Formats: sequence, C-alpha cells, structure tokens
Amino acid sequence: MIGVEGWAGLPAVVAIRAGVILLTLVMARRAAAARWIAFGGSAAASVLSTLIALGVLVGAPPAHGVLFVHGASGYSLGFTIDPLSAWFLLVLGVLAIPVAIFSIGYLNQGSLSHRSAYVGVAFNVLVGAVELVFATDDGIGFLCAWEVMTLATAALVATEHEIREHRRAAYLYLAMSHLATGCAMAAFLTLAVASGSFAFTDMLSGDVLSSPGRDAVFVLFVIGFGVKAGIIPLHIWLPEAHPVAPSNISAMMSGVLLKAGIYGLVRFGAFGLGVPRLSWGVVIVILGGVSAVLGVLYALMQHDLKRLLAYHSIENIGIILLGLGAGMTALSMGQPQLAALGVAASLFHVLNHAVFKGLLFLSAGGVVASTGTRQIEELGGLIRRMPWTAFFFLVGAIAISGLPPLNGFASEWLTFQSLLYGFSDATETLPRLLLPVSAALLALTSALAAACFVKAFGIGFLALPRSRAAAEARESPAVMLTPQLFLAGTCLGLGLFPGAVLGVIGGVTAMLPGLLVDPVMTGGALAIAPGRGGFDRVVPLTLTLVLLGALAVAGALAWRRYMAVRPVPTWGCGGELSARTEYTGTAFSKPLMMIFQAVYRPTRQVEALADVSPYFPREVRYHAEIEPTFERYIYGPLTLGVWRMADRLKVLQAGSLHAYLAYVMVLVLGLVIFVWWSS
Amino acid sequence: MTEGTLATIGLAILQAAGMLALAPLLRGLIKKMKATLQTRQGPPLLQVYFDLAKLLRKESVRSETASWLYVAGPRMYFATAVAATTLVPVWMAAAPLEAAGGVLALVGILALGRFFLATAALDTGSPFGGMGASREMTIAALAEPALMLGLFTVALSAGSLNLGALVRGLLDRGATFHPSDILALAGLFIVVVAETGRVPVDNPATHLELTMIHEAMVLEYAGPDLALVEWASAVKELLYLTLLADLFAPIGIATAATPVLLLQAVPIWAAKIFLLAVAVTLVESTNAKLRLFRVPDLMAVSLGLGFLALAIRFL
Repeated sequence: MIGVEGWAGLPAVVAIRAGVILLTLVMARRAAAARWIAFGGSAAASVLSTLIALGVLVGAPPAHGVLFVHGASGYSLGFTIDPLSAWFLLVLGVLAIPVAIFSIGYLNQGSLSHRSAYVGVAFNVLVGAVELVFATDDGIGFLCAWEVMTLATAALVATEHEIREHRRAAYLYLAMSHLATGCAMAAFLTLAVASGSFAFTDMLSGDVLSSPGRDAVFVLFVIGFGVKAGIIPLHIWLPEAHPVAPSNISAMMSGVLLKAGIYGLVRFGAFGLGVPRLSWGVVIVILGGVSAVLGVLYALMQHDLKRLLAYHSIENIGIILLGLGAGMTALSMGQPQLAALGVAASLFHVLNHAVFKGLLFLSAGGVVASTGTRQIEELGGLIRRMPWTAFFFLVGAIAISGLPPLNGFASEWLTFQSLLYGFSDATETLPRLLLPVSAALLALTSALAAACFVKAFGIGFLALPRSRAAAEARESPAVMLTPQLFLAGTCLGLGLFPGAVLGVIGGVTAMLPGLLVDPVMTGGALAIAPGRGGFDRVVPLTLTLVLLGALAVAGALAWRRYMAVRPVPTWGCGGELSARTEYTGTAFSKPLMMIFQAVYRPTRQVEALADVSPYFPREVRYHAEIEPTFERYIYGPLTLGVWRMADRLKVLQAGSLHAYLAYVMVLVLGLVIFVWWSS
Repeated sequence: MTEGTLATIGLAILQAAGMLALAPLLRGLIKKMKATLQTRQGPPLLQVYFDLAKLLRKESVRSETASWLYVAGPRMYFATAVAATTLVPVWMAAAPLEAAGGVLALVGILALGRFFLATAALDTGSPFGGMGASREMTIAALAEPALMLGLFTVALSAGSLNLGALVRGLLDRGATFHPSDILALAGLFIVVVAETGRVPVDNPATHLELTMIHEAMVLEYAGPDLALVEWASAVKELLYLTLLADLFAPIGIATAATPVLLLQAVPIWAAKIFLLAVAVTLVESTNAKLRLFRVPDLMAVSLGLGFLALAIRFL
C-alpha cells in the first residue's frame, strides 16, 4: 500500500526497536545520546507501524505474518493486523510519535536526565509490547505481550523509585494488573479448552461456549480488561500511578494503555463470544455511566494537575463504554445499524481521548518541568510566562469538555446519538429506560468536565502567580512544544472532519460480526449523522465558519474603541490585590463539593492556635478531605482479608525443609494417582 | 457557491440580525413590566438600547493582570450567542442552518461561550470573578442534564433532534395534547430561568456580591466589552424563550417562505414571546432569590419533571 508490505512491516518494527534498545544500552552513560537514539528510534518505529495500520485502514488486505517459531514445541508467534487492530495501532502511533519527540526535551531536566537510558529502553519495550498486544492473533502471544506491557509500565511508573509514594503506586499497579491478568488468563484458557486451539480465529468464533459459561467468561473479561481500562470500581491504581509517572509516560498510560483494556473488551468481550446478551450491554452501559459521572466528580476535587487529568481518564473511559454498551444493547436486540453507530462512537472517542489527553499531559508535563510543582494552588499567571503551553492546554481543555468545534464534541455527539437513536428503536423496556437516563448522565458529565477545566485552566494558568516557582516559570523548548502543536492541530482536524474519520471507522465496524454500517453515517468528510435521514446531523466546519463570522461582528462592534484601552489595577476590595486574595481551586469547586456531599462525604478540621485571645489566632490550620469510598470500603476489607489468609497459610511455610520435601512428595503422588485414575 | 447556499447564508444573517435587534427590547419589556407590578414607573422600554449604545462608545478599562483571554471572553460569548440563533427556527418552521446541527450543537455552542466567559472571569485575579465563575459553572452543570432531558422528551416524540425537523414533526402531528408536555414544559421553564440568570436562581438587577452569580462573573468588564456581554445575554434569553415557544406551541410559525405566512408568523411569535415574558416577570416578581445551596433542589425538581415526562411519554 504505502510502500510497506504488511507481512514484513511488523517484524521490521520489532527489529528496529530491538536495535534501538541495544544501542541505547551501549550509550547508556551518555544521557543526551541515549535520549536521541531511544526516542528518535522509537518515533521512527512508530511511524512505520502507523503506516502499516493506515494501509490496512484504507483498504489493504489484513497483514498476516509470523514473528518467530519455537522449534521444540512447534509454537509460532503470529500476527494479523485486521482493521480493528489497525485502528488501535493508529491510536497508538498518533500519540507515541509526538510523545517520543517530547521526551527528548522533557527528560533533559534535573533528576530525570541521568535516567534517560532507563526510561528510553523501557519506553521502547512498552510501545513494542503494546504494538504486539494489538497485532497478535493467538492467546499465548497476546498474554505474553500483555504481561511485558504491564511490567514495562510498572517500571516506568517507578522511574523515580527513591520516592516512597512512587514505589507504592507501582506496586499497587502491579497487584491490580495481575489480578486482572489472572482473570483474562482464566477466560482465555476456558475458551482455548472449549475450542481446542489458542488461535483467535477458533477461540473467538462465537459458538464455542453455551450460556452459563459464556456469561462467566464475559465477567472474567470485564474484570480482566476493566482494570487496565480503569473502570470504576476497578480504577484505584489509576489516580495513584498516572500522576507519579514522568509526564511523557502519563500521556502514554492515559492515552494508549487504558485503550488496551478497551481493545480487549471490544475484541474479546463484545465480539468474541457470539451475539452479546442484552444484560451484557446493560452492564457495560451502567459501568460506563458510573465511571463517567464519578470520574469527573472526583476530578473536580483534585488540586494536583496530573491527578485531576488521571480522574478525567476514568471519565472518558466511561464515555467510551457508554457508546460500546449502547452498541452491544442494540446488537442483542438485532439492530445491526444501531450497533454499528454505538461501536463507531466509542472507537472515535478512543482516538479523540488519546489525542486530547496526550496533549493535556504533555502541557502539564511542561508546567511541572518548569515550575517543579503539580499543585494548581501554587501555579497561576503562566499564560504570560508560558504562552504556548497555556494555549495548548486551553485547546486540550476545550476538546475534553466536549465543546465544538474540537474533536471531543464530535465523538460525544455521536455517543449521544447512539444512546438516543437507540432509544427510539429499542424494543425492550430496560434499555428504553436506561438509554435516555445515560444520555442525561452524559450531559451532566460533560458540563462538569467543563467546570473542572475552567478551574484547572483558570486557577493554574491565569491571573497572578501564586508561588515564586510560577512567577519564574520559563517556556518549554521547541522540541517539547512542537509535539503539542501537532496534537492540538489533530484535535482541530478530527473535530472539523469527523465524516472522514467515521469513514475510516466504518471499515473497522464492517469487519465486526453483526454490525451493518449505514452509508448515511459515513457519507462526506464534513458531516456526521446517526443514520436514517432527518434524525440529526452536524457539520462542525459550518458551525465554525458561523462562529468566526460572528466573532468578526463582535470584534467590529467593539473595535471603535479598541485602541483606547486604559489598563488599571484590578480592584482588590480596598486592600491590595495579591495572589493570596485570588480565588483558589478549592474555593472554586466548593459549591459542587457541598452539592454532591452524598458522594464525597467530606470531612474538615479547623484548628486555631492562639496566644492571648481565641479571637486573634496566631495560626489557623485547615484540613479538608473527601472520603476515598472505594479504597476504604471495598479494597480496605479485601486487603485485610488477604493479610489474614496469608497469616493462616504461614503454618504451611514454616521453614522446615522436611515439610517442604513432604509437600513435593504428596503432590507427585497425587498427580500420579490423578493420571492413573483418569486414564 | 450555488444559489441555495447563498439563500441559506442570507437567511442566517437576517435571522441573526433580527434576533440581535429585538433581544434588548425583551429585556426592556421585562424590566418595564416588573416595575409596573411594583407600582414604579421604571426605565423607558428602550433603555437597554441606550445603555448598549453608550457602552459601545466608551473607552475600555481593562485589568493590568489580564491576558488576551480576558479580551477574547466577551467576544466568544457574543459570537456563540449569535451563532446559536441560526440553529433555531424563529419565524419559519426551519432553522437557517439546521443542516449544520441540531439540539446538541445548540447546547454545545452555548456551552462554549460560557466556558470562555467563565475562564476569562478568572483572568483578572479578582475574587469576585472567581466566585462568579465557580457559581455559574456549578449551576450550568446542574441545569444541563435537566435541559437535555426536557429537550430529549420533546425531540424523541417528534422523531428528530434537529430543531427544524422537530418543529415540522410537531406541526405534522397536529394539535394533539399529551400530559407529558406539561411536565416537560415546567421542567424546561425552570432550566430557562436558571440559564438566563433570573430570580429565583440569580438576580440580574443586583451587584451585591453575596447574591450574584452571572453579574459577579462579569463584574470587571467595562465599555464595549461589557456591552457585548450584556447584548449576548439578552440574545440568549430571547433564544431560550423562542425555543420554549417552538417546542410547546409551534402553531402559527410560517411553514413556507411566503410573505403572507411570514407576516402572520412574526406577530404570532411576538405574542408567544410576550406571554412567556409575562410568565418570567411574574415568577421574578413573586419569588425571593434562593440561597445558592437551595438551587440544586430546584434543578433536581426540573430533572425529575423531565424524567417523569419521559417516563409518561414512552413507557
């Protein structure tokens, strides 16, 4: 297709990455060289894999091939890049290329610089593993790649491992991930036993299991991939791990790694087990609604810029699930066109979230690198010190809030359509109730997201600097700004030409069993429509042109006196205006905290220390906290239970060699008896 | 450019200009009626026009701490309000740009304007701006699901989310009445009161810091910047009332672009807006402003009404 033959392409990518890793290790002592080799090489490999993906997406036949053959067992690790794999590879590439370039500049600072080789190697391993996750076509290869991906991520989360919080986040991530991998493995083994093969073509043919087993495997897949995707209540690792990782890695984790979970849910959960049951779709819609609303509500209470973004990832995963769930519901009711609409909305949002969340994390990374803090209460005034970074963050903020004309609007619009259009054609009572309520929840979510980003941008970037570090911040270098420019441009491009994107997604949904793409949906590059004429239609480019025209009118109306601007100090209520009299992020989100008390269950302590009279305190200490509900009520007892069980099992592992030998003996005997019995 | 495109652009400009020209009159009318109810004389009906003209001629006073975003805020707010007028059928049973977007685009565009204005309010460093922005975004977030649910109920019963097609669908259905309409209308009316910053949610007539929401947000603006904000708010108010008229009493709207039908449609539209303005005035005159933390209850009522309407309609 674009000069890259699929069968040779992926092995070439793997070879490039292996070479890059070796060279980086050789040059490990020289940080600058290691950075350029590792990330330059990674970008090159990603360009290649993205070209392969694009080739498949525009109509080339799926790329098949074999990566290596294990002689003794006869096992061969093969890959197949079909449109679904290609779509996720494209999402990976769109983010991995700018992030790699950003990393060259980002790692050139303070404590991170001497870890350039470490991060570079782990980054290449990670991106390579994700490429394999999306490309492999059998269960064993998938699980191996999945595990490498998990381990590389954990290593990257713990980049600054001398900080206790970072180690803890990495361990939490490992523990949760392995719980999930266990579930996925159990599901794979069940399917492999039933179908007699590990190849996806056999395992996922759709009719290998009958009803109760099918449900159980679906649940295993939801847990197995839900942890990686950060679905509430499986999300607890996410707000710990995303903020402590270096910002370039946070961008990858939020933009792409969560999507690996979504990939698993789509390929195995939704389309690998035959026609989904109605209850599956309902479960996914409910999980999506809960994740979206709770994700954004928790995000509102965060004052750590990267933690705030991490909670927004949960929200966006919720939105992706709403589309997917609506699609599955429609599929179970036998409406192939509606199902295609829901799945297309969710796949579109997968790409959009990768782009704007990547952009936001990169901008936040620039801020953290320049000021040394993640707390928005210590930032402020950055729009003058770091104008480009501020502008790019603003673009990302508008996109993630689902506002026209950027890309977030297009996919949230489609998700709304999949819920409402689905409603009008739904034949069962449950979805008829659930879908419009979900649409109202989605409206709440996007309005709250807008409030949250008014806070994040307004407090973090505008008005007066709230700390010395913010007052002395310096703009990021061009090597960090260019990738942000690319991502911001992509936000605009995807928003203005949603029809073109939907045309590509049409090819992906066409290959999924049971989906039928309505040609109306994918007609034209500018417009998108849910289907049947007249229900709704949107042309973001027209809206943008109208907005620009109206903006010109507004400018002209106020133009006459534009030159006569008198700059004056802001009125400080009689006192002097300083950063301490500004509105804070805590104050900004306080009304919402009080309104959603039932969710947050806030506690606060005010302590006044006074010398003479209690009316003239020397010092006031204020401590406020919202209750970590899931951590305290679900994971707390769970952890305690595991500890207790481990305590009991200690009896078995008493340190006596004789006892251990006896265990081995008993086991061997048992196995022999079992084999004798079953034959 | 084909003739059809040119005609569409012409219609869009005409409708936007008409809404821009008439919106201050609605504000003046409500002020006048309120004054009458309070047995005051009140300002002249055209006072809002005089104020706008005066503000547009004054110099701009801007905070030293503010950045370009502070300048962009009112302009974006104005632009989004004007752009939104082209998506709503006003005098004809077709919105000029209905092919470009429906209900969701309308709500999205208005949200974009609010996003910019609220962000700009934080730019001066004044605590009032922050307070206003925080409250505005809070109430907007609570109003949005109620607004959507109400709109969805009507839209789904007419079979389209596109406002032009929706109004035509309602007209085709004839004057059939459904009990859910009352619930949806009540729910949406509450939302409109909240979105336009009227009592009992907000008080447009006061600059007392403890009571204000929208006014606190735009407190720092002066001259032409303030004129744009005020004008855009007036346009939004007229737009919301027109939307209510479209959704619940589309009768009388011109079904074709003939002079006779249009000449009939404009007075009928004016009468509907007048009745709604009377309702807004009565609500504003007979209620006290709610404490900020009672507003969520009101929004919950609106959300509940919307949900009930939906349930009655479709279950």
